[in-house]
Amino acid sequence: MRPTWRVAGAAALWLVLEWYGATSEISWLFLLGVWIAAVVLIAAMYASWNRGLVLHLELESSGPGAQSPVHELPEHVLRTGPFPAPIFEGDSFQVSVGLDTRGGDRGPAWVAGDVSGLQIRFGTGIVPRTGWRRSRTIDALRRAPISASEWTIHTSDPLGFFHGVRRCDDAELGIVLPKFCSLAGRRQARELEAAASAPRAGVGVELFGVREYRAGDALRRIHWRSSARLGELVVREYEPPGVQSLAILVDPSPRSQAVADQVARIAASEAWDCIREGGRVSIWGPGLQATEPRQARDLWALLDWLARYPGPAGDDPAPVTSDVVMVTGSPDASLVEEAESSRRRGARARAWLIGDAELDVDLPVERAGVEWPL
Amino acid sequence: MAAVIRRTLRLPPSPIEHSAEARSFAFLAFAVATAAIVIYGQDYVVPLLALPIAALGHVVSHRERNSKRGLWRQVLLVTLVVAALFYLLADSALALFGGVLPQANFAILLVAITSFDLKTRRNCYSSIWISLAILYLAAVFAWDYMFGAFMAVWLSCLFAFWTGSHLRRIGSAFTTPVRPWLLSLGSSLLLGVFGFVVLPQPAGSPVSPLVVSLPNFTRFQGDIESPALPLVQLAGDPTGATSSIDLHFRGRLGDAPVMYVRTGAPAYWRGLVFDTYGDGAWTASIHGYRELSPYVPARLMPPQPEDNLGTFVQTFRILRPMPGVINAAYPMESLYAPVSGLREDAYGTFHTPQQLRPGQTYSVVSYLPNLNAKVLRQDDVMERLPDHLGTYVDARPLSPRAAQLAEDVAGSATTYYDKVMAVTTYLQRTYRYDLDLPPVPAGRDAVDWFLFDVKTGYCEQFATAAALMLRSLGVPARLATGYSIGDYDPVLNQAVVREHDAHAWVEVWFPHHGWVPVDPTPGVSPLAATRFPSHWAGGGIARLIPHLAIGAPVAALGSLGVLGVVPVALAVGLMVVLAYAWLRRRRFGVRRRVSPGEIDLLRLYERLQRRLGRRRAPPETPLEYETRMGPGQLLDDVTSAVNEGAYAGRWPDPARVRELARGIPAISRRRL
Repeated sequence: MRPTWRVAGAAALWLVLEWYGATSEISWLFLLGVWIAAVVLIAAMYASWNRGLVLHLELESSGPGAQSPVHELPEHVLRTGPFPAPIFEGDSFQVSVGLDTRGGDRGPAWVAGDVSGLQIRFGTGIVPRTGWRRSRTIDALRRAPISASEWTIHTSDPLGFFHGVRRCDDAELGIVLPKFCSLAGRRQARELEAAASAPRAGVGVELFGVREYRAGDALRRIHWRSSARLGELVVREYEPPGVQSLAILVDPSPRSQAVADQVARIAASEAWDCIREGGRVSIWGPGLQATEPRQARDLWALLDWLARYPGPAGDDPAPVTSDVVMVTGSPDASLVEEAESSRRRGARARAWLIGDAELDVDLPVERAGVEWPL
Repeated sequence: MAAVIRRTLRLPPSPIEHSAEARSFAFLAFAVATAAIVIYGQDYVVPLLALPIAALGHVVSHRERNSKRGLWRQVLLVTLVVAALFYLLADSALALFGGVLPQANFAILLVAITSFDLKTRRNCYSSIWISLAILYLAAVFAWDYMFGAFMAVWLSCLFAFWTGSHLRRIGSAFTTPVRPWLLSLGSSLLLGVFGFVVLPQPAGSPVSPLVVSLPNFTRFQGDIESPALPLVQLAGDPTGATSSIDLHFRGRLGDAPVMYVRTGAPAYWRGLVFDTYGDGAWTASIHGYRELSPYVPARLMPPQPEDNLGTFVQTFRILRPMPGVINAAYPMESLYAPVSGLREDAYGTFHTPQQLRPGQTYSVVSYLPNLNAKVLRQDDVMERLPDHLGTYVDARPLSPRAAQLAEDVAGSATTYYDKVMAVTTYLQRTYRYDLDLPPVPAGRDAVDWFLFDVKTGYCEQFATAAALMLRSLGVPARLATGYSIGDYDPVLNQAVVREHDAHAWVEVWFPHHGWVPVDPTPGVSPLAATRFPSHWAGGGIARLIPHLAIGAPVAALGSLGVLGVVPVALAVGLMVVLAYAWLRRRRFGVRRRVSPGEIDLLRLYERLQRRLGRRRAPPETPLEYETRMGPGQLLDDVTSAVNEGAYAGRWPDPARVRELARGIPAISRRRL
């Protein structure tokens, strides 16, 4: 807690009143002078009492943009998305900023900080016991984590004589995911993929999911833990063999932000096409951390990875899959080597080349610019 | 270089004041100051005219705060300010508009005019500081404790202005925790009063007399009339002025106040001085004078006393028509009177060209000579009486019998001081003060009749007898007239002087101290020296307590300020009791303690409802809400927890609530 310039002003006023009182014999000036001093003292006490506030910062809701994949995603996919809603490039979203108090009513207080580079500042005269909230709509951010940084809680007395500042930890509120859409209609290899088996529940080795018990189901397929939790019998389903497994090989060092964004969008589109057909997806880049195997069916985890692309460095080996898609903006030697090596192992391989770069590779290549949609 | 200095001295731009509340309180502060001027300055027309104009100006300024200033409006405002300045000069110099508080009216007009141009926070502060100046002028005229209420309200307005301005600056509406805010304001006021009572008030040397009224140019006409104060009422003179004090007559003096005196020390307010006594009347023998400007600085005054305790300022406000004589504590250091010029007579008394009118104010800075028995006893070495003092030892009008009485009273006293004290204390102890005195019989010497026949008299009799008896002992003495202290309030540093405070006393010449006031009237200190009072409001308040018949010892203690501790101790005790009650309530509290889990769970419940797309209706129970929203594990769990908390008082711990909250992402928003 430090005094503001108003204290200096009040002190000057007090001195003037004392001086005039001492030289004019008007006692009322002493009374007013002492009152001013008392106001400063009480303000200091108030400011030291007005503490213990906790910053509240969360994403409140989102408003899908015109090209947002939200319009196309089915309900059961959205239901498993991030809370309160997935945010894609071009979407708007609301950030809820507020303060909570551990004791009774407090105030005045204000908060200021940065959400993904946008300065936000809100103030209130009173922070009630139930908390205080304000919302701010943020439009059309680029693909990246939504970071809250340099947030500070400011408190003072009601007169603004004393000012206390407390720094809050930086946090990640959410993530702006890359836009995507189904590219199924564009791919030359569409027919080949059409031959791939659609996901079917059946008898296999990989767990497909659970469903309610129906008469005739084998008792050993009952998932007792889920049944106990849900209060009804639930059985496990396994996927059959032959489901597509796709490795998306991405450019480890895109030339520009625009190229990186486009790599992420195309990779996300490829992943979505694969997953909605029941396939499994791995994303890998030379020198980058690859996605984890347990995330292979999780669209949101893959989108999260792509939102952070190129992401942290790593030395994970390239995944071995039946299909390989290389998405790059430059002829990265190790990337091309990995794609060709996959093809040599028997995988179906193809490539997306973004921008004007030349790619000398023995794969079907499709070119794309940096605009979206393609 | 000049540009650098200009840049350095330039104030940073002030932000636009967007807070309507802050502006409202700036206006209220002005209204309070103006009301104080109306009530205490008895000035009505300009303040009552300016208030609605200022209110309108504030509204206009707030509405147009974001607009650029228009040239023609600026020209109009400047013209109006110049017109107000013209009013100030015309009213103060020529009294064209009655001459009532022209500077206060100017300040009020200034606020009213500039209220149309209050865009920035600095503008609002300017308005507030001018209202403080108006309040200060009202304080000069305020003579009762009620003025404290005006001060408190003005301070509250300033408090609220600061609040409104600060809240707007942080982007908030005018809302604060009400109870803490009111508690802060109340505590500040109480603490301020407490500090005012217990803290000593510093007394500084006045720089100059207070210029409360500006001079007007009414000139002297003819010679000084030497108008006496209305101790003696002479028929035929409408002003009550006289050039003599006749002991054969005594005017009837009422209780009406004649002037208020704001003063740093209680003193005798001396007016005219008389040096010649004969046939029962005092007259002034020297009629010379010198003319001076309305402001008489120290260099034009007699040199300061060698041994003085400092200076103090007095501000006189005349309440009823009085002769044009400056009554003040002597010796003076400087003087300011709102007239075109002053005349100083041969006795050091200042005269104004005309009668002093009600509402007129003048101010004097006086020395406070260090007069006490010890120093005065040493001040009696005078080898030869100066020539100009010859008149003051003329005791011929005193009868031999009275002169013998003086010799007897002085007895073995050898020093001036001892002789003076012997005579004055003798008169005080032997004679009785009574205003109901029969007229002096025809042919009788008034002094002899007083000393040997009736042995009863009022101040003129006592002072005349003392002066003549001292003269017969070779002590230079003269009669001084004016007013006694009046009802002096040491808390507010002010005295109310009434008609019956008109007084006469003796001034005795001491070689190294000049004219020293001595009062032979019973009931007062013989040495009428001015003393600085205790500049401590606690002592002043204690002064009031002994009069409740507590008794002389307690009164003596009270005069020392010891009883000032009583109200302070009571206040401290009350605060301790209140603090204890508050702590007890807080610790063992009647208020139900809210568990952290309750707050967290209810927040989670709110969040869940938002997530589900419909809020629970007020008449809907949680179970009804759950049924209508359809089955869901999380809603079921949260509803059970809420019901258990609300109806059984068993709120979950925060860890359990966090566990429940982890299920939230699995719930979709209906609108997606």
